[in-house]
Amino acid sequence: MPSGTLAPLGSGSGSALSYWGPNEPHLPVSPPTADIISTVEFNHTGELLATGDKGGRVVIFQREPESKNAPHSQGEYDVYSTFQSHEPEFDYLKSLEIEEKINKIKWLPQQNAAHSLLSTNDKTIKLWKITERDKRPEGYNLKDEEGKLKDLSTVTSLQVPVLKPMDLMVEVSPRRVFANGHTYHINSISVNSDCETYMSADDLRINLWHLAITDRSFNIVDIKPANMEDLTEVITASEFHPHHCNLFVYSSSKGSLRLCDMRAAALCDKHSKLFEEPEDPSNRSFFSEIISSVSDVKFSHSGRYMLTRDYLTVKVWDLNMEARPIETYQVHDYLRSKLCSLYENDCIFDKFECAWNGSDSVIMTGAYNNFFRMFDRNTKRDVTLEASRESSKPRAVLKPRRVCVGGKRRRDDISVDSLDFTKKILHTAWHPAENIIAIAATNNLYIFQDKVNSEMH
Amino acid sequence: MEVQKEAQRIMTLSVWKMYHSRMQRGGLRLHRSLQLSLVMRSARELYLSAKVEAHEPEVPLPPVRSPDPRLHQSWEAEAVAEAAPPDGEQSSPEPMDTREAPRAEETPALCAPRPTKVSRKRRNSSLSDGGDVGLVPSKKARLEEEEEEGASSEVPDRLQPPPAQAEGAFPNLARVLQRRFSGLLNCSPAAPPTAPPACEAKPACRPADSMLNVLVRAVVAF
Repeated sequence: MPSGTLAPLGSGSGSALSYWGPNEPHLPVSPPTADIISTVEFNHTGELLATGDKGGRVVIFQREPESKNAPHSQGEYDVYSTFQSHEPEFDYLKSLEIEEKINKIKWLPQQNAAHSLLSTNDKTIKLWKITERDKRPEGYNLKDEEGKLKDLSTVTSLQVPVLKPMDLMVEVSPRRVFANGHTYHINSISVNSDCETYMSADDLRINLWHLAITDRSFNIVDIKPANMEDLTEVITASEFHPHHCNLFVYSSSKGSLRLCDMRAAALCDKHSKLFEEPEDPSNRSFFSEIISSVSDVKFSHSGRYMLTRDYLTVKVWDLNMEARPIETYQVHDYLRSKLCSLYENDCIFDKFECAWNGSDSVIMTGAYNNFFRMFDRNTKRDVTLEASRESSKPRAVLKPRRVCVGGKRRRDDISVDSLDFTKKILHTAWHPAENIIAIAATNNLYIFQDKVNSEMH
Repeated sequence: MEVQKEAQRIMTLSVWKMYHSRMQRGGLRLHRSLQLSLVMRSARELYLSAKVEAHEPEVPLPPVRSPDPRLHQSWEAEAVAEAAPPDGEQSSPEPMDTREAPRAEETPALCAPRPTKVSRKRRNSSLSDGGDVGLVPSKKARLEEEEEEGASSEVPDRLQPPPAQAEGAFPNLARVLQRRFSGLLNCSPAAPPTAPPACEAKPACRPADSMLNVLVRAVVAF
């Protein structure tokens, strides 16, 4: 089996590393809304994993260093820090409540001992700095241990304060607040490879910010029509190229991708490349338009490819070919005949994310019934796995699942009609280097690791 | 017919979703509204084309009629009369008009009470204007709006939107939804079909159809 793949696919060697969620047995009640995880993101080394939830909180997990004494306890992720990033706000001018839900978190590349991340809700982006404190100064001249001022008459000699070790304390502070940049709801943020700028995108506009400047941003894409009645498409996601700081891509609700070059003009309304696949007339249905909307776009680590997710498929695009994707993978094509029901229960509007593995050979995305799917681009094999409490006991091996669509039904197959559409995996993340994945299933976070090939080559 | 009913059901559902989305925290979402309006538009097209297909095989009759006989027309005669020229756009104003008066007369319990005399007068006046060539949707929308203004005081209370949400970023949409939606819910397809099956969907279609025209514009006009 070639290295760098989740292997062997089909026999499920993935094992549960950590499970974060409520300890009580699974109750058939929906979890409190505030606890629902809304975004998951590894940092650039994979040492830290950040999650945001609907209640505006951010929880950061840190991977425990692997202990030589216990080689079997591969580094597990433990809670490192928790903080309230955003609070609900009220826009008095429009009489609208602004949700505190964290839409996206993006880590900044680490430049010193501190870690920094950007978190955003619908309207405001914040830069948070996470620092560790494991020493404290002791032996002040003017203050005593509790911090109270000493009686000067008792001070007879001078001493130099000494740093003494203390219990690790993680401090988080908001360093920048980038507010009032967006009229519509922010759907994505992306840090530029220049490590100085980042962009934020809402339904109609994309703004470029400097990480150090909060009172100004440059508008680089504006697709708002002069007459709003002529509106036909909105921006759904955007991302900077991983290496070329002048390139970025944004996806639309019509299923197209636009690659823009910031060197071409100040306002990048005219795309440099338009990636669009002509619609397959045989697949045309009543809901074709809305299921073609791209919910997520991700550049490959190499920068050569883009991955997009629409309601039923994931597609790999080559930056050099605009006419059509080079690969298309069906995530849950058995839903194609059920679009009307999915429209009724609003599931058709679900926005699934997608992810590359570190070597760009495997792609992953979520589905319903707490299933998530992985596609190996080289072997063309795919697997469906389930994030459930039963399958997540530590060291448990994940068993591949199958959805049967009629015909021969195997023992453990799930029929389409018994899929639980309230259990959806919208947010997934893949460790940048290793075969470790983070899966957000409603209010639970699952972290799985592939033991066989835990290192990418 | 099934296609028609299904399309109409989807239109009704979409309107409900649109209304409901205004109540959500965070306000109206542009992408969602756009998607809902796309579905509504497709449903409307499907509904209209299905209606045209359903009526095509029938004998076409001259569409000109006087308003008074329309009131007393039987449902069967009306169905035949609606077999206008195959062109969907042109035939739609006529069936719209014929349905309206009988519906107001025969199903007062189901629909929002509208003074039939008032509506008839207004329809006449707008028809005789003659300046409404083409642009069927705008004509229907205006028709509805004129009626609504007269009947606004009779809108049932049970569908008052929460006062906090009545105004906001999209005041026009709020007003449109408030008026249209209450009428639509009162004339739901689930109402007992007192009329022959051929026309049972029609009383509810009328408000949905015109509402759709207004809504499709209102959705993006904020």
